[in-house]
Amino acid sequence: MFMIFGMGGAVGFLSGLFGIGGGFLLTPLLIFSGIPPAVAVATVTTQTVASSSSGVLAYIRRNAIDFKLAFVLLCAGIVGSFLGVWLFGVLREMGQLDLVISLAYVTFLGAIGILMLTESLRAIARKKAGGQAELRRPGQHNWVHGLPFKMRFRRSKIYVSVIPIFAIGSSIGFLGSILGLGGGFMMVPALIYLLRVPTNVVIGTSLLQILVTMAVATILHSINTQTVDVVLALTLMVGSVIGAQFGAQIGQGLRGEHLRLMLALLVLSVGLRFAFNLVIEPQDLYSVTIDMRLPQ
Amino acid sequence: MIHNLALYLLSLLFLALPLQQTAQGETLVSALSAHEVNITSNFTGTEITVFGEISRDAATVARAGSYDIVVVVEGPPERVTTWRKERIFGLWINAASKTYTNVPSFYAVHSTRPLLDITEDNTLKVQRTGLVNLPLAPFGVRLPTAEDRRAFREAFLQERVDLGLYAERPDTIRFLSSTLFATSIPLPANVPVGTFTVTSYLYNGGIVLAQETQHLTVAKKGFEQFTFDLANDNPALYGIIAVVLALFTGWLAGVIFRKD
Repeated sequence: MFMIFGMGGAVGFLSGLFGIGGGFLLTPLLIFSGIPPAVAVATVTTQTVASSSSGVLAYIRRNAIDFKLAFVLLCAGIVGSFLGVWLFGVLREMGQLDLVISLAYVTFLGAIGILMLTESLRAIARKKAGGQAELRRPGQHNWVHGLPFKMRFRRSKIYVSVIPIFAIGSSIGFLGSILGLGGGFMMVPALIYLLRVPTNVVIGTSLLQILVTMAVATILHSINTQTVDVVLALTLMVGSVIGAQFGAQIGQGLRGEHLRLMLALLVLSVGLRFAFNLVIEPQDLYSVTIDMRLPQ
Repeated sequence: MIHNLALYLLSLLFLALPLQQTAQGETLVSALSAHEVNITSNFTGTEITVFGEISRDAATVARAGSYDIVVVVEGPPERVTTWRKERIFGLWINAASKTYTNVPSFYAVHSTRPLLDITEDNTLKVQRTGLVNLPLAPFGVRLPTAEDRRAFREAFLQERVDLGLYAERPDTIRFLSSTLFATSIPLPANVPVGTFTVTSYLYNGGIVLAQETQHLTVAKKGFEQFTFDLANDNPALYGIIAVVLALFTGWLAGVIFRKD
């Protein structure tokens, strides 16, 4: 119990430090500490609801949410999480859920870790060379803007097709419910670079979408596989809420590219740990799952 | 504990008295230190003590050799699947599997001596007593080879033993007098909930002379019971409550740590 609380605190600290949701670190931590992957994933979706809700409230107060965009995204997100929870149940029955969770984490954490690592190293090198750490300015138009079914979003000042919005929302909902992560670290870049959503509304909008999608995923996981553990989730929430406050304070004193480098290394090492577990011969080849209780 | 013990022994004597007048063979009377085990949030496991008395009267035939007692505790039945990982494309993946149905979720055998010293293998098989004699009813597809069937069976039993859910403990029943016996059965923190049966067998000369079954209920209590029941009986409501709790925690955190 105290270990879980501490883990929540540590992940909360990191999420405050790096400004991330932390689901992609919390789920692996829980799995490595011996909690069944199915329970870890479903419970972290609940924890994500808590961690994103305080953010959403803050962004509502600042009027930094595009509600129309968030609505389209979360409709897609709900469709995605329905698919995700359904597949979750099927994989669990087939005995392959743990494998798919591990493989997906290796792929995601590996790819994102390498991207972040190269980006932050380049930024540090540029700083050393004396140049300005330049920000990539998104161009005016890309191929996404040629797609049909356009819709106008006044708050974001964009006029884009609903197809990419739907694709982004549903894939984040799908991945979130299978992997137990909010997906903010994927959604924010997608909204900025693909849809050209202004930076000041991106975070609030994506948080709102994450909040609703993860809330739906929590209810669906409860119904479908009974893998949500409220006590575990509450312990994590309290721990992470406290940890996040300290993380945010310390994070303000550190340089951005150094923070990103540290995060990249962290992400890569978690990914490697998953890969290691898949490749190394397990100590016990056999495992037992309880399918159902029988009436007496 | 001592106080409890005395109380139970006393009640046993009273229970046994009327039986003694009519019995021809031996009778076995048993009692549990508790008929209910409550799992609360700070539950870290407990022990259940089984007490019993072998009663004889003047008409009971004289026996050669000593009495032996075997106590079997069984948890509610369940269906389980055992998986075996194989290396596929360099990755360790669950490949073969075997499902067993109607297996006890908890199984402990206590005895005065090693089971095979008490009686023959055949009798144990008929009585389904001992880990090797536990019937694991196959469910669905049959494994192709006898070697596989044996390997899966052993792996399943080993896993359960490692979790503390299955146990065979010879020499754990002590005689307090020539006819009174007692044994303590540990229930681990992960003990399943439901109705357990506690059956005591009286052996002499390799034959079961008498047996008696008691019931034990293991149930979650308080908040644990509330969440457990809700998750199983009303999962949608459980999910909604989880979401509301999460929203509330997030909101509260926002209020507490609000900077502006």
